[in-house]
Amino acid sequence: MQAFNTIAFKPEQCTGCNDCMVACAEVKTQTTEISRSRIQIVPADGGGYELAMCRQCGDPKCVSNCPAAALAKDDGTGVIAWDGNKCVNCLLCTVGCAYGGIVYEPAAGHVVKCDSCGGDPVCVKACGEGALKYVTTAELYKRVGDLEDLFVPGLAGCQGCNTELIMRHTLRRVGPETVLATPPGCIPGMGSVGYNGMVGTKVPVFHPLLTNTASMLAGVKRFYKRQGRKVTALALAGDGGASDVGFQSLSGAAERGEQILFIVVDNEGYMNTGMQRSSCTPYGAWTSTTPVGERGKGKTQDAKNLPLLMMMHNCAYVATSSTAFMEDFYEKLEKAMEASERGFAYLHLYSPCTTGWRFPAAQNIEVARKAVETNFVMLWEFEPGQGLRLSHPIDRPRPLAEYLKAQGKYKHLSPEQIEHIQRSLDENAEFIRGLAAGGSARKGVTLPRVPIAPG
Amino acid sequence: MQETQYLIVGASHAGLSALRTLRMADSEGSLTLINRDACLPYSPTVLPYVVSGRSQPDNVALQGEADFEKLKVAYRPGKTVRAIDAKAQVATLADGERIAYQKLLVASGARPIVPAIPGLTEVPFHVLRTLDDAVQLRVRLASIKSAVVLGAGLIGMHAAENLAKAGAEVTIVEMLPHVLAAYFDAEASSIIERAFIGKGVTLRTGEKVVGVEKTAKGCSIKLQSGGAIEADALLVGVGVAPIVDFLAGSGVAIDRGVLVDDTMKTSVENIWAAGDVAQAKSFYTGEKILNGILPDAVEQGRIAGLAMAGDSGLKPYPGGIPLNTYTFFGQQALSVGVDGEGMTDLEIEKRVDAAANRYLKIVLRNNRLVGIFGINRPFDSGVMWELIQRRIDLAPVKAQFFAQPRETARVLMSRTWR
Amino acid sequence: MAETAVATKRPKVIVCDGNEAAAWGVSLANVDMVAVYPITPQSSLVEYLAKFVADGRLDAEIVDAEGEHSVLSVLQGGALAGARTYTATCGPGLAFMFEPYLRQPGLRLPMVMSIVTRDTLTPQSVWGGHQDAMSVREVGWIQIYCETVQEVLDTVIMAYRVAEHHDVMLPVNVCHDGNYLSYGAARVELPEQADVNVFLGERNVNWHAALDPSRPMGVDPLTGGAGGPGPKMFVKYRKGHCRGMQNALKVIEEVHEDWARLIGHRFAPLIESYAMEGAKFALVTIGSMTGAAKDAIDEARARGVPVGLVKIKTYRPFPAQAVVQALGSMQAVGVVDRSVSFGWDCGPVFQDVTAALGRAAARVPAMSFIGGLAGADLTTDHFARVIARVAQLAQEKTPGATVWLNETD
Repeated sequence: MQAFNTIAFKPEQCTGCNDCMVACAEVKTQTTEISRSRIQIVPADGGGYELAMCRQCGDPKCVSNCPAAALAKDDGTGVIAWDGNKCVNCLLCTVGCAYGGIVYEPAAGHVVKCDSCGGDPVCVKACGEGALKYVTTAELYKRVGDLEDLFVPGLAGCQGCNTELIMRHTLRRVGPETVLATPPGCIPGMGSVGYNGMVGTKVPVFHPLLTNTASMLAGVKRFYKRQGRKVTALALAGDGGASDVGFQSLSGAAERGEQILFIVVDNEGYMNTGMQRSSCTPYGAWTSTTPVGERGKGKTQDAKNLPLLMMMHNCAYVATSSTAFMEDFYEKLEKAMEASERGFAYLHLYSPCTTGWRFPAAQNIEVARKAVETNFVMLWEFEPGQGLRLSHPIDRPRPLAEYLKAQGKYKHLSPEQIEHIQRSLDENAEFIRGLAAGGSARKGVTLPRVPIAPG
Repeated sequence: MQETQYLIVGASHAGLSALRTLRMADSEGSLTLINRDACLPYSPTVLPYVVSGRSQPDNVALQGEADFEKLKVAYRPGKTVRAIDAKAQVATLADGERIAYQKLLVASGARPIVPAIPGLTEVPFHVLRTLDDAVQLRVRLASIKSAVVLGAGLIGMHAAENLAKAGAEVTIVEMLPHVLAAYFDAEASSIIERAFIGKGVTLRTGEKVVGVEKTAKGCSIKLQSGGAIEADALLVGVGVAPIVDFLAGSGVAIDRGVLVDDTMKTSVENIWAAGDVAQAKSFYTGEKILNGILPDAVEQGRIAGLAMAGDSGLKPYPGGIPLNTYTFFGQQALSVGVDGEGMTDLEIEKRVDAAANRYLKIVLRNNRLVGIFGINRPFDSGVMWELIQRRIDLAPVKAQFFAQPRETARVLMSRTWR
Repeated sequence: MAETAVATKRPKVIVCDGNEAAAWGVSLANVDMVAVYPITPQSSLVEYLAKFVADGRLDAEIVDAEGEHSVLSVLQGGALAGARTYTATCGPGLAFMFEPYLRQPGLRLPMVMSIVTRDTLTPQSVWGGHQDAMSVREVGWIQIYCETVQEVLDTVIMAYRVAEHHDVMLPVNVCHDGNYLSYGAARVELPEQADVNVFLGERNVNWHAALDPSRPMGVDPLTGGAGGPGPKMFVKYRKGHCRGMQNALKVIEEVHEDWARLIGHRFAPLIESYAMEGAKFALVTIGSMTGAAKDAIDEARARGVPVGLVKIKTYRPFPAQAVVQALGSMQAVGVVDRSVSFGWDCGPVFQDVTAALGRAAARVPAMSFIGGLAGADLTTDHFARVIARVAQLAQEKTPGATVWLNETD
């Protein structure tokens, strides 16, 4: 199978400014006549806007309908190209198109259609509203789609769990020359290491103790390096082990610059063992050890910011990532892989837990996306000498309530608690932005006021 | 004897559409594609443009050798099928070669009808169905001083336009009262007719040819109404008929074409048919009709391909909808659906600006689109086709739809099947 | 003390303490990876290791881990990749290491770890005593106790042969007493590197369980549970572990024999019988205290007292058969421990000796003596008291309560 980049349209964000059409007309017709734009924004009755343009279909009927072989889908880019030397102007292509994506343009005297501007569409660049997006995840698919899935099929994750997504994507990218450590938690819980002689991966894999993942991997890696063998030492660990009982070994390995690719899948608690609190659990969250009752109102402390702590170790690479932003993730994974040959590379992946956070299984990616778009979590990366960089800055965050309301674990929150979360979130955002502005994490940093939990 | 899992007879739009679909649904099953022409596959629809010189004969191939290699298909050009033994599942070719198949698609298309006019077979005349036909006419084009075109369908009208542009004195003879009667009403047709008349073409509609005689210059065409037209070239474009002779004795049920069900399956196990050869149900009446149009051939081929591969994504054929596009002397005519002749409860919106050669007719039945026709009034034919097929309720947007059919349909599209 | 066999060339002789001797042993044993974290009285041992690496004398990967827990974890990872590994610890360090320590023998990962024995908290103590090593006596490691500085060096090397033996595949603790051996300097003969190379051969660490992309496997998946193959598999692993321990008894003897043949240093492998010929009753000792005990035995024998001594060298697996053979016909036995079995109000070695005799239906009156805790000295005077008490026991056949030797010091 092939996959291709595509222009995506979010009607709810379109204001009908027509900037995209003007930009297209300028580039394609050297005029500002928006009727000649290859992208057509159509005002809808009752408000809002809709879109007519070429979808660069997978099995394009315009191509099938062409009697003159004037249309062809490019194997590499997926763009359906029109060949003026072959076109006979019969318009049968327009019959095949269910999207109004190929139309006769009187001024040109032939049919016209979007060609994605060679992979850099001007309409998307012209859109200041975020209504148009050039989705390039297909590039990712093309690059990694043929890599072998190194987890076996049939891992026993909860319905809708995106940790499995993280595991499969990560391991297939990192590849078979890997030793994988999956300390106790959801990852071995779903069968990655196996049970009674069965095994869940195609690479060497083991359960470290909850406490010693980084240390065991350090030993593995050191010996292979001594032998001149290039083997990636990869950890897929949960937030509980990493931030709590395993923090010592994590910190030690980071300080020593052990050449490890350490990935923490943060589902904000000990979800595998029944959803208990960890130091990564956010303020206010219900867990089975911070239950909600007559007095209890969820966790009374803010989450430990583990990735920032790792950054302060001056690791070779530190980044936060989210499965709602897979391109960002892959970019960081690849940098982390490279960095793990020089020193300690740490990736912190936010991973909403359908079971423990109490939201419908189908909502996982949406919850992950909202976490980022509300600035509840921020996507950044750090390299020594480069400092911290926001990889997906959200300047106009969506209301925090959108994120909190999406999850059952916050449904008990009082206005005061929500206020506390908002304040912590703002302070954290300001702090991170300060780090990003500072250029280097090691200069010009003022630590934020420690948020005081109310009650 | 060669054995193949899938045998496709016919390499035009229906056959090729089935081929691509089969490969998508079954990446490994062996495929054999038979083309009666000894060249790469091409579309009959492109032939008028070969005649006009717009298309070069060596530049019209719909698929190349590299495509066949990629699709892992054994391509057999220049082969015709003589007989099908449906019981043994063997096709016998004209040269005696036998090919055993597991599943067979009949996509053999149609051939021009030669009307039973006295003397016609005694004179040289042109038809336009194969690339050879087109090349022959192309070669003669510049030297033709006068021509008669029998039939005012798409082929005839295209040929007439090409001949007129090449400088010939052209007469179109058509039995029906106006041109392109399959697609347009008299009012719309009159706009097209005026364009032809304006270019010096003589139209003899409602007229019948009763005899043809060979003359020193070419031929003489006798008309029913009296008189005769002298011409050095005669082109017959009165329609086509499915090529089904090789199915004789196969047990495949044939009416005017090969009768097929909603999955393009014939009456015989493991044989399907699609395209111009197939007689499939009408979207409007459910009766089995010949709907010899290119987009329908593509759709039928796709459905047949899914059915042959046993693909679970198969959805039954919704029924054929007449539909075409027609450009003449730089103008555009679009026709999607039917005009509702014989139907009740119709609501018709019609706007004609004869002076500007603009025409629009929208036909609704119970607030569902039945047909839409336009001359120099652009709309998205494919979007309209979907509106008809999906039976989209236009009641909430009827006024807008009548006022701005293109924009309103686009909003409906973007909301409904974006 | 080692007896010198036919020396073909003059051995290299140095004077060093037990910690340095252990480091020399590591250096000679072609260890690939050492992980270190300092703790009294082990600290100088890891300092020697670090210096040996810094000087290029020891070509090993050295990991300065952030604690004993990680020390052993790093080495476990290294061993699963195939490395020959070493570390040393004691007391609180061993306690902190306990989680990965428990796991090492179950993984059947051979390695050598010195325990520079130290009494355990609390009371707060930084001095010698066997309480740390004794506390981990039942978790499946092999434990060997040294008597002399030379034995420390030689045993560290021999322990790799034992640990990596195909029929054993278990980690070995080589225990040497804090203070008395760790800091006590003595004359030591250094074996030739070439001889040690021949003796040890190729490392043999992870043929059975590896984290190696060239032969991918899941190491230590969940095993057990009720139903399915779980119970059977779990029993198989546990029994295999026990079998490995029992196999070690024979292997330890073979290894000591080979060492004596090749290097010329002969040590008793499981137990050492001293002056047992004609003895009617006996003392049992372990570790460095044995030197003073032997002096006391010599003195008593000179006075005609029919007392002998059995020193336990290999403590886990417990050499029950050898112990019964040596002591089964004694009229009385006194066992001197440097640690406490809180559950039995006696010393742990005493428990083992009486259990071995009891299981063999040898009715030998026995008494427990505990001394040398938290760095306290055990002198010939203490052993003279023990001999007298055991002589009395041989007469009266009525064992008294545990005697705490330093109680009145």
